[in-house]
Amino acid sequence: MNRKRRCKILINGNSRIAEQLAAVIKSNYKINVLDVPNNGLVMMKMRENAKQSLFYIGEVAVIEARVEVQGSIGLGVVIGADSKLAYNLAVIDASYNAKLPEVFSWREILLAEEGLIEKEIKSKSASILKTKVNFETMDV
Amino acid sequence: MGYVAVKGGSEAIEESIQRLKYERIKKGTVLDIRDIEGGMRGLIDTVMSESSLYDRQVASVAIKQAEGSIEEAVFLMRAYRSTLPRKYYSNVIDTKNMFVERRISASFKDIPGGQILGTTYDYTHRLIDFDLSKENTMEVEKWLDSYRKKREIEEPADVDLCNLPRVTDMLRKEGIIAQALEDNTPPIDVTKKNMEFPTKRSERLQVLTRGQTGAVIALGYASLRGFGDLHPTVGELRVGYVDICIANPMGDDEFYIGNIQITEVESYISSPDKNNADGNKLNLTIGYGVCYGQNESKAIAMSILDTDLETQEKKFPTQDEEFVLYHIDSVEATGFISHLKLPHYVTFKSKLDGIRRTREAREK
Repeated sequence: MNRKRRCKILINGNSRIAEQLAAVIKSNYKINVLDVPNNGLVMMKMRENAKQSLFYIGEVAVIEARVEVQGSIGLGVVIGADSKLAYNLAVIDASYNAKLPEVFSWREILLAEEGLIEKEIKSKSASILKTKVNFETMDV
Repeated sequence: MGYVAVKGGSEAIEESIQRLKYERIKKGTVLDIRDIEGGMRGLIDTVMSESSLYDRQVASVAIKQAEGSIEEAVFLMRAYRSTLPRKYYSNVIDTKNMFVERRISASFKDIPGGQILGTTYDYTHRLIDFDLSKENTMEVEKWLDSYRKKREIEEPADVDLCNLPRVTDMLRKEGIIAQALEDNTPPIDVTKKNMEFPTKRSERLQVLTRGQTGAVIALGYASLRGFGDLHPTVGELRVGYVDICIANPMGDDEFYIGNIQITEVESYISSPDKNNADGNKLNLTIGYGVCYGQNESKAIAMSILDTDLETQEKKFPTQDEEFVLYHIDSVEATGFISHLKLPHYVTFKSKLDGIRRTREAREK
């Protein structure tokens, strides 16, 4: 599972998952905090479809943390101001970078959470699609 | 006549600030930030868009502090933004994979994936619902429960809302809209570099998307009424969420950091085909509009102004990029207008002196 997919599950899923996974590492290893969760901005670059050119739509507020576990650095960045989540994401990222044995059992947990997220999206989609228009042609 | 330095008024200013707080809370009610976040979606979207900073929570606090004044809330957000470091630039956002919550076309009845009304005021009667003044939490929870329960038993969706084909792609396949190759020219950031005329497309789009909603809509409307040269048709209007990713600063793949809601519009305008020598062949061109949150009038108006400014002519005011781009920024416009409230004692005294002199000269 690549980093993007993993982050997507941890950010969009139940925040308790990130908390649980990070808790295992926190209890087994020393966490060296390089950057405590701190606020910042990400400038968003976008492609428009008219001329396929690039432009900046604006900035989004993020919170970022950086930690070191077993000599490997991990980064946690998330939109918003959830400092606990940013810290847990950094711990999890460092654990993957350090190839700690604990991470090999996480795949199933993450896949199960991904399944729940997908179910939620399907349910939301079904609700939105109730507003899809069915046109009837009138005889004039 | 020389300038005179004056001081004083600090006690009056302090008391004035106290009055501001008093006016905000004098009825003894405390406006909860969660109430603003939960019930002021449109206001938050407008404030985020005009301040060019996407953060619902901070926008809610700014709205509370500004007592609902948009220009003041935008000023607060811009000031807050200037205190934060810009840590990253996102990877390129492609709206092709937007999770669509609303999508309509005024150009075609039948579009692949269908017309999805989503959340809209368009079909409401616009009659004030006085029952809302008596709305209570118990009623709301009951309604929510019933709404959710009804939708739990529904069949899963058969349409992938992350993969809806674009109306424009359909017309590009037919050759009615010219194919556009990816242009990877690095964009210019107007927050880092002052605009120079003629501007680049990236500068125009950035200024338009962060423009004051009322100003963008007013100029778009002026263009339609005759102070412009076109009447577009909305090819596609989408409201939905796009994923935001950043490159891994330490190496390989990318980090997903969350998603944001945007409104995106592609308008169609017929124009002479520049590649056709006799000039009697017409083409469709696209006007592009986008903004944070759900703000459809602003995005449509932006797509009109985008087309106007692309003409590179100055036949109409809305085609004059200096006229449009220099006057639609909320902080710049309200800042300059409100500076007129500041002491102009010396300049005004000079004006009065001038008037008095002309009168004295006439009397002599």
